[in-house]
Amino acid sequence: MRLSRDERVLSIINYVALTLIGLSCLFPLMHIISVSFSGYNAIITDQVTLWPVGISWENYDLLLQGTDVVRGFTNNVVITVIGSALSMLATILAAYPLSRSYCIGRKPITMAIVFTMLFQGGLIPTFLLVKNLGLIDSYWSLWFLTLVSAYNMLIMRTFFQQIPEEMIESARMDGCSEWRILFNMILPLSKPVLATLTLFYAVHYWNIFLGVLIYINDSDKKNLTVMVQQMIQSQQLIAQLGKDAFDVNINLTPEGIKSAGIMVLVAPLMIIYPFLQKYFVKGVMLGSVKG
Amino acid sequence: MWKQNIPLLIMLGPIILYFLIFKYAPMFGLIVAFKDYNLIEGAIKSPWIGLRNFQLLFNNPMSIDIIRNTLLLSALQIIVGFPFPVLMALLLNEVRLKWFKKSIQTLVYMPHFFSWVIVGGIVLTIFSQETGIVNVLLERWFGYTYPFMYQEASWITVFLGSGIWKEAGFSAIIYLAALASIDPSLYEAASMDGAGKLRKIWHITLPGIRPTMILLFILAMGRVMEVGFDPIYVMQNAAVMDVASVISTYIYTMGIQNGQYSLTTAMGLFESLVGLVLVVTANQIARRFGQELW
Repeated sequence: MRLSRDERVLSIINYVALTLIGLSCLFPLMHIISVSFSGYNAIITDQVTLWPVGISWENYDLLLQGTDVVRGFTNNVVITVIGSALSMLATILAAYPLSRSYCIGRKPITMAIVFTMLFQGGLIPTFLLVKNLGLIDSYWSLWFLTLVSAYNMLIMRTFFQQIPEEMIESARMDGCSEWRILFNMILPLSKPVLATLTLFYAVHYWNIFLGVLIYINDSDKKNLTVMVQQMIQSQQLIAQLGKDAFDVNINLTPEGIKSAGIMVLVAPLMIIYPFLQKYFVKGVMLGSVKG
Repeated sequence: MWKQNIPLLIMLGPIILYFLIFKYAPMFGLIVAFKDYNLIEGAIKSPWIGLRNFQLLFNNPMSIDIIRNTLLLSALQIIVGFPFPVLMALLLNEVRLKWFKKSIQTLVYMPHFFSWVIVGGIVLTIFSQETGIVNVLLERWFGYTYPFMYQEASWITVFLGSGIWKEAGFSAIIYLAALASIDPSLYEAASMDGAGKLRKIWHITLPGIRPTMILLFILAMGRVMEVGFDPIYVMQNAAVMDVASVISTYIYTMGIQNGQYSLTTAMGLFESLVGLVLVVTANQIARRFGQELW
C-alpha cells in the first residue's frame, strides 16, 4: 500500500523521535564508559563527551588496587547466585501446588500471599524480626526477606495453569508422582517463564541496596552496589582509596574512578541482558494477565 | 484426593511457614507503634502507650512536611510519568522496519535493569556543577552553569526525569501487548472512510488501550505513598532536604540509625494504612470500568 504524503511525514517524524529516545538511553551510558576509559588530563580539562580521550586503564587499575572492589564484586556474585537459586526453588514450590485445581486450600492461601503485596509490616518491625532471629550480618537476612516475590509467583502460577490438564492427567495414569510431574514435565515446558523470573530475581539480588545497608554491618560482607554508592557520595574519595594510591603518587580524578565503579556494577547486567531479552517480554505480558 | 494432596502440601508447607514468619510476623510486630519500645523488654513486654506516638508525629511540623513531600513527589511521579510509556508504545507500534524497532526496544528496556545506585551515579556524574557534562556543555555554548542538583525545582525535575528514563521503556511493553490485540479490520474500515493516521490513533488506538491505561493508572494510584527509598537516597543532598526528605528515608535515619523504633513504626504503619486504603479505593473505582484486580 502506498503511503500518502501526510503519512510519510508522520512516519519520518516518528523515526526521528524514536532515534532521539533511543540515543537518550544510550548516551549517558556511553559518557560514563568514555570517562572511565579516559586519561587524567582529558578528564580534568573536560574533553570527554561521547568517546574516550587518551584511552587508558588507569581508572580501573586504581579502582582495583586501592579499594575493596574485588571483594565487593565477589559478594555481589555470592548474593545473586545463591539468592536466585533459593528464590526460584521456593517460587516453584509455591506456584505448582497453587496452580493445581485439586489443591486443598488453594484459594485462601493464594489470597493470603497476595495480601502481602498490599499490606506489609514495614521496615522497623521487619528489622526487629531479623535482629531477634540473629540474622544481622548474615546474607540469610537478604535471601529470606525476598525469598518469594508474590508477583513472580503469580506469573509462574498463571504459566503452569496454561499447561493442558490432559497431559498431566496421562502422566499420572502412567504412575508419575507429583514431584516427577513437576520436575520432569512442567519445568521443561516452562523454560520461558523460568528464564524470565531467574532474570528478575538475579537483577534484584545484584542490585540489592537497602537490605545490605540495614542488615549487613560487617564491611567485609558489603556488596559492590553499596560500595559504589558510598564512592559516588564520598567527597574524599582519595581517603577511601587507601595508602597504595598515595605512594604511587598517580594523578587521579574522582570522576574517572566513580565511572569505573559504575561500569564494574553495570557490566554483568549488560552481558546477560541480550541473551534474556527475548524471554522477559513474554514474562511481563504474562504478568499483565490478571488472575 | 488426599493422596494427591499430600505431596502438594509437602511442597507448600515450607512456603506457608515462610510467609507466616517473614511476612505476617512483622505485621504483628506493628504493635510496637503503640508501645514505648525498649531493647531489654522487647516488642511483647514493652509498655503500651496507646496513640501517643501518633500524636507526637502529627503534632510535629517536620513529620507533616515529610508526609507532604512523600505525597507530592509520588503524585508528581504518577501524573508526569504516566503518559510516557503510552507515547513510547504508540511510536513503536507505527514502526514497520523490524530491525529498527528491535534496536530501539533493546535500548529503552535496558535502564529498567539498572539499580538506582547506577542511575543515581550516572545522574550525579552528568549533572554535577563543576565537572558534569551538561554544565560543561552549557559553559562552552552559553557561558554559564546551573546547579541542577542543588535547586529544589531543578532537583525535582531531574528526579522525575530519571524515573521516566529508567522505567518508561519497560512499562511500554504492556501497552504494546494491548496495541497488538486491537482488531486490524477497524483500521481498514477507518481507511475506507478516509481517516488519516492521527484520526485513527485518536478514534481506534487510544480507545483500544483504554482498559489497560485505566488499570495501570489505578495500580499506580495505589502506590501513591511509596516513593521508594533508593531513588531519593541516592540523589538527595543537604541543599534540597526541604523537598527531598520522605517517609522511607525518615524511617531509615530515625529508626534504623537512631533507634527510634516506636516512632518510626508508627510512621510506617500510617504509610501502609494509607497505601492499603488507596489500593482498595482504586480497585472499587476500577470495578466500575470492569477492570478490578480482585
